[in-house]
Parts: sequence; C-alpha cells; structure tokens
Amino acid sequence: MMENAQIKPAEGLDLYERMLRIRLLSEHILEVYRDDVMETPVHLTLGQEAVAVGVCAHLRDEDVLSLGHRTHAGALAKGLPLKSLLAELYGRSTGCSGSYGGSMHVYDPEHGIHGSSAIVGGNIALGVGAALSFKLQSKEGVAVSMFGDGACDAGVFWESMNYAALAGLPVLFLLEDNQLSNVMPKSKHLYPDPRAIAANFMPTYFADGTDAISVFLSAKEAISEIRRTGRPAFLHCPTKRWMKHQGVEEEDLPFIHIDREKDCPIQKLESFLLGARMATPGELKQVRAHLEEELEAAIHYARQSPYPPVQALEV
Amino acid sequence: MPWSRFEKQWSIQEEGRILSYKDALREAIDQAMCLDPKVFAIGLDADDCYGVYGSMLNLSHPERVLGTPISENAMTGVALGAALTGMRPIHIHMRVDFLPVAMDQITNYVSKWKAMFGGKPKVPLVIRAVVGRGWGCGAQHSQTLHGMFAHLPGLSVVTPATPRDAKGLLLQAIALDEPVLFLEHRWLYKNEGAVPEEMYTIPLGKGQYLRRGDSLTIVAPSLAAIHSLQACEEHDLDVDLIDPRTIKPLDRELILDSVRRTGRLLVVDYDSPVCGFASEVLALVAEEAPEALLAGAQKMTFPDVPMPASGVLERRYYPDPDRIAAKAKAMISRVKGEGALV
Repeated sequence: MMENAQIKPAEGLDLYERMLRIRLLSEHILEVYRDDVMETPVHLTLGQEAVAVGVCAHLRDEDVLSLGHRTHAGALAKGLPLKSLLAELYGRSTGCSGSYGGSMHVYDPEHGIHGSSAIVGGNIALGVGAALSFKLQSKEGVAVSMFGDGACDAGVFWESMNYAALAGLPVLFLLEDNQLSNVMPKSKHLYPDPRAIAANFMPTYFADGTDAISVFLSAKEAISEIRRTGRPAFLHCPTKRWMKHQGVEEEDLPFIHIDREKDCPIQKLESFLLGARMATPGELKQVRAHLEEELEAAIHYARQSPYPPVQALEV
Repeated sequence: MPWSRFEKQWSIQEEGRILSYKDALREAIDQAMCLDPKVFAIGLDADDCYGVYGSMLNLSHPERVLGTPISENAMTGVALGAALTGMRPIHIHMRVDFLPVAMDQITNYVSKWKAMFGGKPKVPLVIRAVVGRGWGCGAQHSQTLHGMFAHLPGLSVVTPATPRDAKGLLLQAIALDEPVLFLEHRWLYKNEGAVPEEMYTIPLGKGQYLRRGDSLTIVAPSLAAIHSLQACEEHDLDVDLIDPRTIKPLDRELILDSVRRTGRLLVVDYDSPVCGFASEVLALVAEEAPEALLAGAQKMTFPDVPMPASGVLERRYYPDPDRIAAKAKAMISRVKGEGALV
C-alpha cells in the first residue's frame, strides 16, 4: 500500500485528523448511547473511516456527496461541522437538520451535502442528479454517490449507472463494501461482482477500504479522471464493519473476522506516517489532543442547545 | 387509437385569445425556460418528435429537453438531485401509471426532503403526469391517482381543468421552491379557452366557481369539473360548481362557504373512491360544517375496481355529464332533512 512518494506529509496528517475525528465521535456515542440521550438509530462507521476520508480529501466544498443511512463518516469527512452533527444526534434545534433528520438524515449544502437517505440505494440517483446539475450549468464539480454493497442489489444502482454513462455525467460511484447487508453476507444478497457490473458503464478503480492511503491514491486517480473527462467512474472499496448494522453492539457474526489491530484504518495510517517519517509521535498526539478538545466543545454546544418547539407540529 | 373521436370535450365558451389546454401548457414551459435558464424538462420520450402529446413541441430551448431511459425511479432521484443543486426540473410522464414505478423516490425522497432537513432545502421540482382513460387501454393505462398522491405530506397536487388554469398553475408550480405533482387530464388536451399571452401565476389552494347556484354544491376537479359544468348548463341546474384547481392544498373555505349556503354537497371525482379526494371533501364538511349536511352529501367516483378494457364497461366506469346531471337533479329534489347523511 505504502507509496509514500505519492502522498505529502500534510495530506497524510489531514487524513489522520479526519479519521480520528470520526472515530472519537463514534467512541462518544458508544459511551452515552445506552442512556437514550440520543433518541435516534445510529449506524456507526467504526472501522470504515478510511473510505470516506480517502475520497473526500480530493473534493472541494462545492463538490457533492450523496450519502445513505450510514452518514457520520462521510458527512464529517466532507466538512459537516462536528457540533452540527452532534446537536442533530442529541435532537436539538441547532442540529444540521434542525432535529428533523436524526443520524440518518444530515444536511449541509455549504459542504455539498444536500441531504442523505435511509432507503437503501435511492441516494445513488441523487448524486447523479447533482452531476447533471453541474453539467447543465457548465460548472466544474464532481458528485459522489456513496453506498454499500446492499445498495448494489437495487434497480436504482443499475438505472443510475446507465443514465450517468448515457448522459456523460461527472459522478463517482463509491462502493463502501462492508460485505454485509444488515446481517446478510454479500454472497447471499449479490450474485455478480459489482465492479464487473460497473465496468460495463465506466472505468473502475479499486482500493483497500481499511487503508486510507490506498483509498486516497485510487480516489485521486478516479476523481482526476472524472474532472478531466466529465464522465462517471466507479471506485470499489472493500472494508469491514466493526459494529452491528445499527446501534452500539459489536458485530459477532460467525463468518466475519475482524482483527481490531490489523484492520484498523487509524492504526494503519499511524504506522505508515511514523514509518515513513511523515509525522512524529508528538505530532499525532497533538492532533488527538486538539480533536478531543473540539469534541468536548461540540458536546457542550449540543447539550446546551434547545430542543425544537413542539408547537411547530400544531395545525 | 382514435383519439380524435372523443378527445375534444365540451368546453367553456370564452372571449380573448383562444388557446388549447395543450398549447397553454406548452406556452407556460416555453416562457419559463426563456425566463430562467435553470428550468429544464426531463422525461421518458420527452425529446421525441411527438413532444409529449404536443405539449413540448417547438420550444425555444430544445437543448433543455432531455430524454431518459425507462428508469422512472432513478430518474425521479436524478431530477430531485438536480433540483437540490440549483436547477428547476420539470419531470414529465406521459402516463400517471408510470409514477408508481417511482414510488420510492416520490414517497420517501421528493415529498419528505424539505421537512426531513428542518425545512431548509429548496426543492423546486415539478412532476408532470398525464392522467385519464384512453380507449380500451385497461387497468394500467387509465388511472388518475391524485388522491393517492395527495395522501403524502409534503407534496402538492395540482389538477387544472381549463387552459387558463393549465398555464397559470404550471407557471406557479415551476416558480415554487417545493415539489408539485401536476396532473393533466388527457381528455382536456384539445379543449380551448381564453389564455392571456403574458406570464401569470395562479396560487395553489385557490379554487374557483365555474357556476353559481343555490340548491347544490358540486365540487369537481380536472375533467370532472368540465363534465359537471356541461351537465349544469345542458340541464339548467341550480348548482354552485367549485373547481378546487388543486387537490392539495385544498381551498377549504370556498367549499365550506358554499355548502353552508346550499345545504347539499356532491363531489364528482374521477378517481377511486376509498380514502380519496371525494372522501376528503366529505370529511371536511362533516368536521367543519356538519349542520350543512342535513340535505345530503354524496360522492360520485369510479367503482372500487381496476378499469376494464371493454368499451361497454369502460363507458360505465367513468361518470359522464348525463349521470352527473341525473345525480344532481335527484339531490336537489330531495327535501332538507329527508334522507339526511346518505
């Protein structure tokens, strides 16, 4: 994986900071979730941080990210302020969706997040629509439709790739393949190799979804190709979901093998940065300290924020 | 299919610049596209040589008319994605029967998107669909479905009956920053009426009287409004006839005012009867003006079965002006208090 000539130290540290921010949020949720202070189902991204972060490193604010139900990593990687997400999780009116969305429905158009959806697959089409919008307005921009292997079962996956290819649209189909649809292994829900399907429509790329550098490098190639040609591309990132589909319990399916040391995208990146002398242990520690402070402040902000007025529902 | 045999319906005689319903729609789209470069039309066969029954032919900006594959569900998501990122799409379907293919996007995405993010997003999306029976087309090409879609919170449902309303309501729908389902009855496409040349809008939720009278209120949208008016004029019925223009939002006050005066209500709705628009209007009056129902409230709709193909059955399935007139006469002749609430 480690092609250190192709990544600058600042880029490596940025990946590290973004992944750790997501990780710390997950850890906070694990701490408090059983107390029902967050009354919303959470689909945690523990173990999957590298995919969103490695891709979003190449996106600008105006580029669009269309997310499904597992939102936290993508949203934070794209730039959604942590405090807005936390306030949403805590059900407060200062949340990114004004408390009307919860964990699965995040909104931050300033950072190219025009909403996210909890019905698997449909958000793929919305990313294609954003790409159509860029094309019709002659704007430079890339849309990313991010989805899991479960979404590849749905007709909208095919329909969206077909239209994006026919119309020639600047969209990245980003498959964050955790190899599970709820508790169903991919072998039981998806017959063909999704990358082989995609290859009928567009160039495809591959990365190790537990390795931020691998995702960073493949995404760089895919997104430059999209920017250059204005046409779609597909990036397949197998990864591992550490938790159950929803909630704060660890995954314990017999056919899933997770080594939390070896499979951890953050530890992998740490070793890489240190090994390549792109960062010192002190620098990494400093990043963590800064993020811990940021998280504390965001938690405080969320908890101090008002709940929405119930009068809003009176007709 | 011999459309010409029945395509032009009885229509209101008006003075002014006369335009067909179809050309009024076309003019609205053309003017909107000329005014705002963000307006574009997209849909299955939208860009072919027939131009959606002529409603999109010879536009000034053909480059903004996009055809699509037969992928209604994804394409609704594509239109929504474009609407969220600065465009004003008009997604067109030549038959309303194709909309259920896109039910995930319409139900879970389009109608929810604004509320689901705290009211923040702008969703300037118009979904046009042509409704109504054809000619022996059977169950899958003859539906109306406006009641089913009006059931969804977050979606307006518009049903113009006249060329003037077709243009003004479509321009209003395009101008709004929220999703609108715009349902055009196929049988009205050749009807003519006075249509102003300039751009104008008609607000959603404002119904209109098509005829004034004191003995019976008829509420009827879309083609049913025109057939009801024909029935009233041909049979000289003393009827207050309300065309709600939009199923949702509904002009509740207009209906209640009329029913309070006439004491009798007939809803003529060319849609299925259960949990539908007609039931909604009866419920409105039952909730808000039960005293006015003492001389009866009835609905006239399709039977609660899918449309059959045979002409004999198809003609019986759709109400028509003669049957509306018969029903109205029977209701008017009933003395107040007699047969209440039936």
